[in-house]
Amino acid sequence: MRRRALLPAVLSLLLLAALGLHLFLGRDAPPVTEALTALSRGEAGSYDQSVVLFQRLPRALIAIYAGAMTAAAGCVLQGLVRNPLASPSTLGINSGATLAVIAGVFLLDLGLEAQGFAALVGAVGGFLASLAVTRLAGRNNDPRGLSLILSGALVSMLLVGTTNALMLSDPMRRADFLSWVSGNVNHVYIDRLYAFWWIGVLCLLILGALSRALTLILLGSEKAASAGVNVRPVSTLALAAAVVGAGSAVAICGPIGFIGLVVPHLVRPFAGANVALALPCCLLLGAGISLLADFGAREAFHPYVLHTGLVMDLLGGLAFAMIVKRFYLSPAVRDQA
Amino acid sequence: MRSARAIDGRRVLRFSCGLEIRVGNLAAAAALLTGAILLALVSLGSGITETGFREFLRFLAGEPASADQAYALWTVRLPRIVMGFMAGWAVALAGAMLQSITRNPLADPGLLGLSQGSMTTIMLLLVFVPAAPKVAVALAALAGGLAVALLLLWLVGGERASGLAILLMGIAVETVLSSVGSLLLLYTPPETSLALADWMAGSLFQANWNAIATFAPLFCASLLGLFLLGRATSAYDLGNEFAMALGEPVRRSRPLLLIFAVLLSASAVTAVGPLTFLGVLAPQLAGFLSPATGRARLFLAALTGGILVVAADTLARSVVRDLPLPIGLGLTLIGVPLFFFALRLQALRRLQLH
Repeated sequence: MRRRALLPAVLSLLLLAALGLHLFLGRDAPPVTEALTALSRGEAGSYDQSVVLFQRLPRALIAIYAGAMTAAAGCVLQGLVRNPLASPSTLGINSGATLAVIAGVFLLDLGLEAQGFAALVGAVGGFLASLAVTRLAGRNNDPRGLSLILSGALVSMLLVGTTNALMLSDPMRRADFLSWVSGNVNHVYIDRLYAFWWIGVLCLLILGALSRALTLILLGSEKAASAGVNVRPVSTLALAAAVVGAGSAVAICGPIGFIGLVVPHLVRPFAGANVALALPCCLLLGAGISLLADFGAREAFHPYVLHTGLVMDLLGGLAFAMIVKRFYLSPAVRDQA
Repeated sequence: MRSARAIDGRRVLRFSCGLEIRVGNLAAAAALLTGAILLALVSLGSGITETGFREFLRFLAGEPASADQAYALWTVRLPRIVMGFMAGWAVALAGAMLQSITRNPLADPGLLGLSQGSMTTIMLLLVFVPAAPKVAVALAALAGGLAVALLLLWLVGGERASGLAILLMGIAVETVLSSVGSLLLLYTPPETSLALADWMAGSLFQANWNAIATFAPLFCASLLGLFLLGRATSAYDLGNEFAMALGEPVRRSRPLLLIFAVLLSASAVTAVGPLTFLGVLAPQLAGFLSPATGRARLFLAALTGGILVVAADTLARSVVRDLPLPIGLGLTLIGVPLFFFALRLQALRRLQLH
């Protein structure tokens, strides 16, 4: 038990280390003393200090927010949908939010705030569309919930296709949004973070308050009901919080995959089924991985900065293949099927 | 040839050679063909230039038409109709075949990553060798699709794997490839990027008689393939073990079906870009019109696919005149409501039966 309680502490250290790496290291890094002065004074006196304060720090904050929110959403979704492949990117949440933002900007000329709310609506819409297609496809008795993942993939493809078509209609704006659409952690988007961070915090608070009930639900709805949990409203509220949280991350830096899919799998062997423990661990690890990935994207091909979202997508596809191999193609499972 | 009743009580036509066709399927095919012809006539008449079927007939009879009418009919509209129909036919046929071998109603060349594979290789070719000839592009598309298919077969481990595993692996491959595609889109110069994106959205703007001439042999081959491989799909619909028990050479015919589907989807991608969702949509709609198995199912699905694309293109030309609406979006606009409508009706029908 004590070993488990130690886990968040270890992960916090990891996160701090990643943050330090992200802020202070890398090619063309400003001297550490300069960086520390800038951070402690909160204003920039020299070029190096302004690089830290206005480029590296915003990037790090956005990466932390996006990583933490998608990981938390993935954790809750995988639990409640009972599917190891569930995540914001596989259930149409990310693509729904992307389409909503792009449609809002291209068709209605929405401002920044309205874009954020469009993303939230889109995220919920994308998720509901995936659920609806699953129900319509009519394989409800599928024990491992695979048709949900399939419908999610179909809905995502459809939404992404529509997004691309919309973007083609206006080449000028397309240039502005092209990098956002593929998921880009960039200091330019910091005002989006200022505008939307409270949504994520609110969702996390809700999830935290529900974590005990969620743990019970994961043991089985009947058991949870007999322990006095109001199963339906609790799961609905938790799903809504997870989806909206993931949507707010999309509103800031575009769709970022991988973390929501993989981090819960990394955490589960150590944290077990207790959501009250797994959720903070997912948050910390998600933020840490996101920081590291962003660091890699920034430094790998130096003068060029890769898009963090694309790096994540590449990794995410590979991770998806590995999870499929492990959960659906191992000999034991094959004999069952 | 005589009329009879099959074991399940449906009316069938039996030919002396042993061939058996359901009357319902035959009627549906006739209705779809009529629909296709009517749609083509409507499509000929829709657009900015005032011309239509009557002018077309006169043109055929040898009467001189005005230059812009001739241009609209002969260089723009007719190639688009023919090309659209053939591409839709190919994609829908590929989708129907894949649905049989994966035993999943949601299988689609796009979902399995086949068309993404073709697209990625074409994009790579266009980025690195911008002046590549058309043949090279087509070969690249085929190679990409085949590579993805082989990769899938290797990943899921031969003929014992279940259809669902293939599908999930397909999604994984699709994710990786599409991020490679976005990478290319982002880091190429804006003009190249816009051209690539335009093509990726799927369009019939480049349809011309040369492209049709290259596509036509494949179209004929698909008819032949439909006839030869069609029977196998009905065995696969029952599952791998049943297919084997029925005497289907699974080890041989499964890769053959997959390769044929790749060939169809790759050539459609080369010609008009990816037609998202059509591979799922058309077989479902066809199945709703007239439940069928084997060859009849493939034929009806392919016919529906062709009609859907021509309809989407007609819609794009007649509704949004100034804005070039990508064919993919038009398909979505027409197809998705139809799809939900069909599924809903099917569910209601099932409720009434029980």
